[in-house]
Formats: sequence, C-alpha cells, structure tokens
Amino acid sequence: MIRPDAPVLLEIRDLQARVEDQPILKGVSLTIRAGEIHAVMGRNGSGKSTLSKVLAGHPAYTVTGGSVHYRGEDLLALEPEQRARLGLFLGFQYPVEIPGVSNLEFLRVATNARRSGKGEEELDTFAFEDLVKERLQVVQMDPAFLERSVNEGFSGGEKKRNEILQMALLDPLVAVLDETDSGLDIDALRIVAGGVNHLAGPDNATLLITHYQRLLDVITPDYVHVMAAGRILRTGGKELALELEERGYDWVDAELAATERAPAEVV
Amino acid sequence: MVAASLSTPPVAAARSGWTTALLAAAPGATGADALAATRRRAAEALQAIPLPSRRDEAWRFTDVSALTALSPSLLEASAAEMPAAADGSLRLVLDGQGDPLEGLALPEGIEPISGEALEELLGQVLTATGSDQLWPVLLNGAIASRVLALRVSGTIAPTLELVSETGTAAGVLPLRLLLVLEPEASVEVLQVHRSAGANLTSVVLEARLGEGATLRHGLLAPGHDAGCLLATLAVEQATGSTFRSVSAHGGWALGRLEPRLVQREGAALSGLKALQLADGRQISDTHSQMVFAGPDGRLEQLHKAVADGQGRSVFNGAVQVPRAAQRTDAAQLSRNLLLSDRARIDTKPELEIVADDVRCAHGATVSRLQLDELFYLQSRGIAADQAARLLLRGFCEEVLQELPAAARPWQPLASLLGEGRP
Amino acid sequence: MTSTATVGDLVSQPYKYGFITDIETEKIAKGLSEDVVRLISAKKKEPAFLLDFRLRAYRQWLQMEEPDWASLGHPPIDYQEIIYYAAPKQQEKKASLDEVDPKLLETFDKLGIPLSEQKRLSNVAVDAVFDSVSIATTYREKLAESGVIFCSISEAVKDHADLVEKYLGTVVPGNDNYFAALNSAVFSDGSFVFIPKGVACPMELSTYFRINSGDTGQFERTLIVAEEGASVSYLEGCTAPMFDTNQLHAAVVELVVLDDASIKYSTVQNWYAGDENGKGGIYNFVTKRGQCRGDRSHISWTQVETGSAITWKYPSCVLQGADSVGEFYSVALTNNRQQADTGTKMIHVGPRTRSTIVSKGISAGHSSNSYRGLVQIGPKAVGARNYSQCDSMLIGDQAAANTYPYIRSQQPDASIEHEASTCRISADQLFYLQSRGIAFEEAVSMMVSGFCRDVFNQLPMEFAAEADKLLALKLEGSVG
Repeated sequence: MIRPDAPVLLEIRDLQARVEDQPILKGVSLTIRAGEIHAVMGRNGSGKSTLSKVLAGHPAYTVTGGSVHYRGEDLLALEPEQRARLGLFLGFQYPVEIPGVSNLEFLRVATNARRSGKGEEELDTFAFEDLVKERLQVVQMDPAFLERSVNEGFSGGEKKRNEILQMALLDPLVAVLDETDSGLDIDALRIVAGGVNHLAGPDNATLLITHYQRLLDVITPDYVHVMAAGRILRTGGKELALELEERGYDWVDAELAATERAPAEVV
Repeated sequence: MVAASLSTPPVAAARSGWTTALLAAAPGATGADALAATRRRAAEALQAIPLPSRRDEAWRFTDVSALTALSPSLLEASAAEMPAAADGSLRLVLDGQGDPLEGLALPEGIEPISGEALEELLGQVLTATGSDQLWPVLLNGAIASRVLALRVSGTIAPTLELVSETGTAAGVLPLRLLLVLEPEASVEVLQVHRSAGANLTSVVLEARLGEGATLRHGLLAPGHDAGCLLATLAVEQATGSTFRSVSAHGGWALGRLEPRLVQREGAALSGLKALQLADGRQISDTHSQMVFAGPDGRLEQLHKAVADGQGRSVFNGAVQVPRAAQRTDAAQLSRNLLLSDRARIDTKPELEIVADDVRCAHGATVSRLQLDELFYLQSRGIAADQAARLLLRGFCEEVLQELPAAARPWQPLASLLGEGRP
Repeated sequence: MTSTATVGDLVSQPYKYGFITDIETEKIAKGLSEDVVRLISAKKKEPAFLLDFRLRAYRQWLQMEEPDWASLGHPPIDYQEIIYYAAPKQQEKKASLDEVDPKLLETFDKLGIPLSEQKRLSNVAVDAVFDSVSIATTYREKLAESGVIFCSISEAVKDHADLVEKYLGTVVPGNDNYFAALNSAVFSDGSFVFIPKGVACPMELSTYFRINSGDTGQFERTLIVAEEGASVSYLEGCTAPMFDTNQLHAAVVELVVLDDASIKYSTVQNWYAGDENGKGGIYNFVTKRGQCRGDRSHISWTQVETGSAITWKYPSCVLQGADSVGEFYSVALTNNRQQADTGTKMIHVGPRTRSTIVSKGISAGHSSNSYRGLVQIGPKAVGARNYSQCDSMLIGDQAAANTYPYIRSQQPDASIEHEASTCRISADQLFYLQSRGIAFEEAVSMMVSGFCRDVFNQLPMEFAAEADKLLALKLEGSVG
C-alpha cells in the first residue's frame, strides 16, 4: 500500500559494504515507508543477501560507505540486538541450528527483549505460552516444535515457518525476509506467505529478497527492485517482476555491461 | 608409579640381550651406502633403550614376550609358494636380500631412487611423522641392509604388489620401503606379508605424497600364531593429496600396525580402514596417529577388531589438531567384536585439539554380535553358529572388500580366519 | 565484530569469593614428618587405629612418586613448604551456633551459606569446614530423629568410632595413589554421613569447604555410607581467597552403598583459579570413589568444575553388586591458564551393572581441558552396559580440549558405546540470537547452558540455577 505521506521507516543512501576484502555493495539507495512491501530481485551474487545481512548488522560485513537510517536513527551505529529490539527483523535464508537451547526459551527471551524495546512489560512464562500458542496458528506449526532445540533437525520448511513464527512474536516494523521462499514446497510456501500477508499492515513494512516470481504471486509487492553487481539497477512496480520472469536476467547483464563499460573507458 | 623404580637389572639385561644378539647376527654396517649411516645410528639408539614394556603407555596392553621368544637372527631366504598374481598387478617379491627389481621391467612413471637422492630422502618421512624413535622403526633401521625406493610420477595403471613370505623359517625379516609420489602422481600399492612359522616380519614403509598425488594403499597380513609382525606406515601428505589405506592383519602371536600420518600443510584427505583379528592367544594391535599440521584437512577412519579365544585386541587412535589446523574435519570410529569370555578388547580413541573451528568426532563400541541380527537370520532357518559365522564375515568384509583387487588371489578372509590351513 | 564484548571477554569475570577472613588461626609449623602426622592425630585426640592408619599411609607415601601421566604441567610441589594443620582459634566445637566466632559466621554469610537459625536454608543441612576444621553443622538434631548421622569426620571419630573404623579406607585404601596416601596421613577434617537401613534422608546434605590461610594445604576426608535401602543426596561447595601462591588441596571422598541404596553426590567446585597469567590458584588433586557393594545399588556423581589452577580428579564407581548403577555427569570449564584433567572410572564387576558417563568440557583462553576416563568390563560382568558421551566446546584458538577414553572389555555379553564430539560457539549462531534482540552475553550464556543442560539437569534444584550463573560469570570475556 503506497501512501506518499506515510512515515519513512528505512532510508538507505549509497550503501557500500564488503566482506573480507571483497566489495559487494557498491552504492545501494532505497526508501521504505510504512505500509509498503518491497521486493529486491536479482541473481545469486548480486548482493541481495549481503544487503539483508548488513541491515541486520552481521559482523562479517564491513560498511565502507553510505548511510542507513531507521526511523531517523543511524542504524549502522547499533548492535544487532539493539536493531532487533527497535523492530528490525531479518528472516534468515539459512536459519541457524542451536543445539541444546530450547526453542520455547529462545522465543520467550527474544520476545521479551523486543517488548522491552517497545517499552512494554516482559511476559512471564504463562503469559508467554498463551501468546506463543496463539501465534503458532499464523504458521500452522505443531506446538511440539517449541520443545525442541532451536532449528535443530528441522526440515527446510519447518525452519522457515519458525522464522515467520518469530516474526509474528517480535512484531517488527521492518521485516527483511531473505529468500524465505527457497527450499519450500508449494504448501509450505502458501503457509509462509499467508503468515507474511497476515502480519503486513499500514504501520509496518516488508522487504522481500528473492529471485523467483513465485513468492510474488502470493505476496504482492508495491515496488520491485532489480539488483546486480551490488547496485539497484532498476526500480518498478510489480510488473517488473513479471518482466523478469518472462525475459530472464540476461537483459540485466546487458544493461549492466553497458553501465560498467562507461567508467572503464574513463580509466 | 611404584614399579618405575623397581626394574631389576637382570631382567633388563636379559631382554635387551635379545636385541644385542640380533644386532650381532646382522651383518655389520660398514659400507658407505645410504643405509649404513642409518643403520649405525639406529643400532646405537636401539641399544640405549630397553625393550618396550607395559610401563610404556604405547605398549601398555601389548606384551612383547612372543617376540623375544623368536630366534634373534636374520631370516634365511627360502622359496615359498604364492598364488599367481592378479591381472594388472606388478608383483615384487621381497626377501630382504635379493634385488626385487632384478629382471623386471618397471612401467613408465616408476623409477628406482638411489645414490644421493636416496640418502637425502630416506628417513625424512619417519622424522616428519615423529616415528624415527619408535622401537619397531629403530629395530628395522638397525638391521635392514636393503631398501626398495621408488619414485612415481604420472598415473600408474598396474598395482604395485609388494610381497613377503617368511614361511616356516626362523629369524627376522627386515623390509624397508620408500615411495615418493611426485605432484599429481597416482598409484595403487598392496603390501602382502605372510608367515607360517616362528619368525618376525619387520616392515617400515615411508611414503611421501606431493601436491595432488593419490596413493591407494592396501596391506594384507595373515600370520601364524608363533609369528610376529611389526609394520610401520609413515605417510607425509602435501596439500590436495589423497591417501587411502585399507589394512587387515590377524593370526599373529603379536601383530602390530602403526600408521602414522601427517598432513604437512593440511588440506589433504586421509582415509584409514582397518580390520584386525585375534584368536587363540594372539595379540592384534594398531596404534595410529594422525597429525594435521595445517588447515582444512580431513580424516575418515574406521577401525574394526575381532577378539576370540584368548585373543587380545588393542587399538589406540590418536588424532592431533593443533592451532594451525582450523576447519579440520576428522571422524574416527572404533568397532569391536568380543566373541569369547576369555578374549579382551582395549580401545582408546584419543583426540587432542587446540583449534576452535573444527569438526572432530570419535566413537567406539564394544559388544558381541548383535542379538537381533542373529535372531533375524535364525528366524529364516539358519542355524545359530552358521548365522554367527555369516555375521562375522559380514563384519570383516566391510573392510576387506575395499582392499586393492590385487589382494584377491590371497583370499583375504579365508587366510585371516585361518581357513584352509593344515 | 560490532559487539564491544567478545566471548573472550565474557569468560574472565573477577573471582568474587577471593576475600580473606581476618581471624586468629592456630597453625603448626611447616613441613611433613612422622612427628607431624602424630601431632595432627594427637590434636584431634584420635584413637590408636586411626593413628596407625595415618602412619601406614605416610610410610607408603614416602615410597611413592607423584604421578605424571595427566596432561598437566606445574612447578614441583615442595611438600615441606606446606602447613598441614590450621584451625581458627576457638575452643572445642561449639554446642550452639551462638558461641561460634561471629567472624566465621559472617564469612559463610558472605559466601551465600548462612548458618544461623534465622537465615539458614530451609531444606539443606550444612557442614561448614574452615581451613582444617568443621565449625558448624546445621539441622543435626532434626536429622538425628530419623537416625541420620551428619557431622564432621573428627566428631565421628569420637562419637561413632566403630563406624569409622569399619568403613574408612575400605574404598580408597591408604596407599591407593600418591595424593590419597598423603591425605590419609594428614587429613584434618571433612564430613561423615551415615544413613541407616531403609531411611531416605529427609533433606539435602551439604558441606561447604573454605580455604582461608595462604600457606595451608587442605586435606579433607569425606565418608558417606548408605545402608540397605537408604538414600541421600549430598552436595559440596568450595571456595578460597585469592593468593598469588598456589595452595594444595588433596581430598579423599569414599562412598559405600549397600543393597538397594543410593547416593547422589554433587560438587560445585569454585576454588580460586589463579589470575589470567596463571599466578596463584588451588592445586586440586582429589580422589573420589564410590563402591556399589550391594545389589541394585546406585551411585551418581555430578560435578561442575569451574575453579582451581589445576584439577586432577576422577570420581569413580566400582560396580560390584549385581544390577548396580554408576553415573557420572560432569561440566568442566577452564579459562586463562587453568588446567583440568578430569573424568571417571567405571569398573564393572558384577553382572548386569550399568553405567552412564556424560562429560562436557568447555575450554577458553589458554587453558587445557582433558577428559580422561576408563570403562572396564570385568569377566563376570555379564550383561553389563555402558554409554559414554564426551563433548568439548572450544572458545578461541588458544585453548586445548583433549579426550582420552580408555575402554576395556573382557566380557562378550556386555556392550559399550562411546561418543565424542567437539563444537564451538559459532559467529553465525551468536548473530542469529543477537538478531532476535538477545544481548551478546545472554546469547553466549544460553548456548553454554544449552551445551551443559544434560549435566545441570542432574543437580539438585537449588543449585542448578547457581551452576548456570557460575558458568556465565566464569565465561565473561572469552568468546569472540
């Protein structure tokens, strides 16, 4: 839902980042307002996942230039946990397994961390169990998953549902979902997308990172951005995704080659 | 602890007397060849240390009295009957005296190493793997007057079959082998060591693998219950190299195998699959050591042992992962079958790690044949003892079928189980 | 990494029990000789059998050599530089707590072990040992009602000499090993527990050991006997002040369990570990062994080892009775220059005996943490079973984790399974937790306690949370 007067939640300006000595993001700019759903598409290696990791503050990535403001605040100065407490959520492409740590306890600690970020009171174990049981519905998860270790031994689909469950509990203002559709069969995809749609509202925003159209068939984006070689090459509406689906990514390569050539000649 | 100060001189003298007698029986190391210097050094070192005893951690469960019961002399070569070599096998017969290469045309890519090159190379891998001061290596070094040293480049089609047969003769047969694999070289080598009497086969193989080289190694050693085998396998691997060894020994009064591997700069693959059997009053022993001196190395080790009768099986598998060896992936499994209430199993997988980003796991099991498996076979009409034999064969075959094809004429399973022997 | 704290920083929290109580102490002169052994025995007014026991052990100790097989390194210990007896100056043990020196009560208050009637823990009886002597034991009367004897071993020697004579040294003989022999010669105090036939001890029993003097060795001796059908859960805790010299602690614990009886023995060891450069700290050389003498008897050792410069300790079970059960649950955490060589021995003698070993080692800093264990199945242990699991967690690339499991079997109809693995706290796991709003310290602590869960579950409830906190404290400063 596009409302030009809606408050800006995330403002990314000329963001550059590297991992080890490899520059990955080479100047990404993006403005996300409340109520909007954005999709970033692109091939593997285009920098999509790096963007999501940098937003969440992954220690392996170093920001070398540009800025990110989250509701007016300098996001890059915050620790990963502070970002989460303020309502930025990253849905992982590969959710991490943490043996020995129970899912229920993990969810409770995380939920209370977020609640304290919102200035709300922490929930006791009983109140939390009520909440978690209710939110389980959103992703149609079996309560038995709560008793297991975080993501340990979960199937790909179960892991992704666990991510959306966390999103449902943490009530984020900006949710960045990194390849949430990868590794899902059609039923799981529908459940996960249903969860995302259910949680999307006028006060929050979603950034979907994907390289397939199929997720966008079930979650309709307001904007589609095409990423290549660490930049956003083109921005359009949902029809841009369909164009990509139809024409493939080859034209992106051609366009990219053209833009790359120009500075090369200068050198 | 208490015993350490109580070793009585007469016993020590009597024991090292065996070594002294053996050294006296070996021809003097007077020559100026590559081996002569090695022999003199080893002889000195050997006389300075006592025979291995239960006070040494590495020999804690391995009694060497079967060894010192042997005649302290060098074995006289004797003609022995051997099965015909398999197709695609190039057989070299080692008797410790003659030249195994005499009259043979080596395939392209294999050439003997001699002279200064040999002098420089010999013993290097022993040092690199920390094997140079092991008692069996010193013993071998002090008496072996020949070395079979080969350099391999390119891909060698035939399997090199290195065979010794001590038969019923008395004494000690020392065999010293050196293999140098040039970068990207690939070869399969099978060692076969057989005995039919009261003698010792002492074999030391040094192998050096260049970058990207592949050595597929097999060792088959069916023994005799008065005979002894001391086999050392020292392997140094460069990055990108692959060493896969499949070994099987059993039937010896004392059979001990010591594979000692080092990945010089890590990033190599080492595979050890082994089977050892002990029946009667036999001792079967394997002490393996794997050192990762660099990152990204891999080890896959499966050690299987069977102890029956009053046999004793010993396994010690050390894996060392120093700080330089980040991202090492090492898996070791020791599976033991204890078939008789007078037999014994001692197994000790050892892990020493000083690197945090590694995956190292080991496991060990000791049990008799699985009752549910036995029952399953019995429920299909197979008699209990036959079912047990079938399962035992299955347990062994998991390793034996991985031996090089050149081992087939030696009938690995039958020879190890002592079947078809008078 | 953006975090200001690293897991490495997390492991180095100042030791909070490092204070010294300023109290007048009666000490004997440094050094060890037959006269010293006699003097200790005389001070304690011991019967002849005990003096004999001490002297035999002392003479055997003289013939023995300090063991060197563990993965430990330390400068040689000068046994003549140690004081073998130190006691706070007060007359005979007080009949009532009101008469105990308030400084001592205050010390235990500060350690979180209040002894006074008003403040003491409601369901745990405590024996408080200060340097070489026991200063108070709570709830003695209440325990006596059900026939349970819980007192210092010195008192037991006086009041229950027959029981002490019957059991002392029968599990760990005076010449068992170097440190046990030393302990047998000079042991000063410790706890004695006797649970008579058919009695389930009505409350948790606990001994709290406090070393206060800088040059004194502590050699306590604990003896617990559970008669037929009896059961007890016992916990020991230990702390010491921070000195930059090393103190020797060589304890012996003996457990005897008869038919259908059970002893659950838990330890939370938090002796001073030395500073980050390895200066100071306790040398902890302990022999703990339990004998399942009776059929269907049960011994369970749970230990959380976080302190000491050096830990050398192998709580063991001799499983003699048919169907007896031995368990060992251990968490050993080492940081800085700490060295731990710890594990267990499960000696299966009787038929259908069962044992379980769960060992979790966490090594951080420049420390070294070894699991050393023995599972031995004797020829008569038909149907015996063992399961062992030894996991190591490495924090940083300077710490060592070693695993040395000795497995020996002489019984075909027995099964042994051993598994060992290593893991670390990966940056990805930390980031995942952080990205859900969980602070770095809490994330590390969650993962460490997840790693140790199987062991903490075995601790008495009152102490499980304590152990969790203790680990988190000890880990402060080391991941990252």
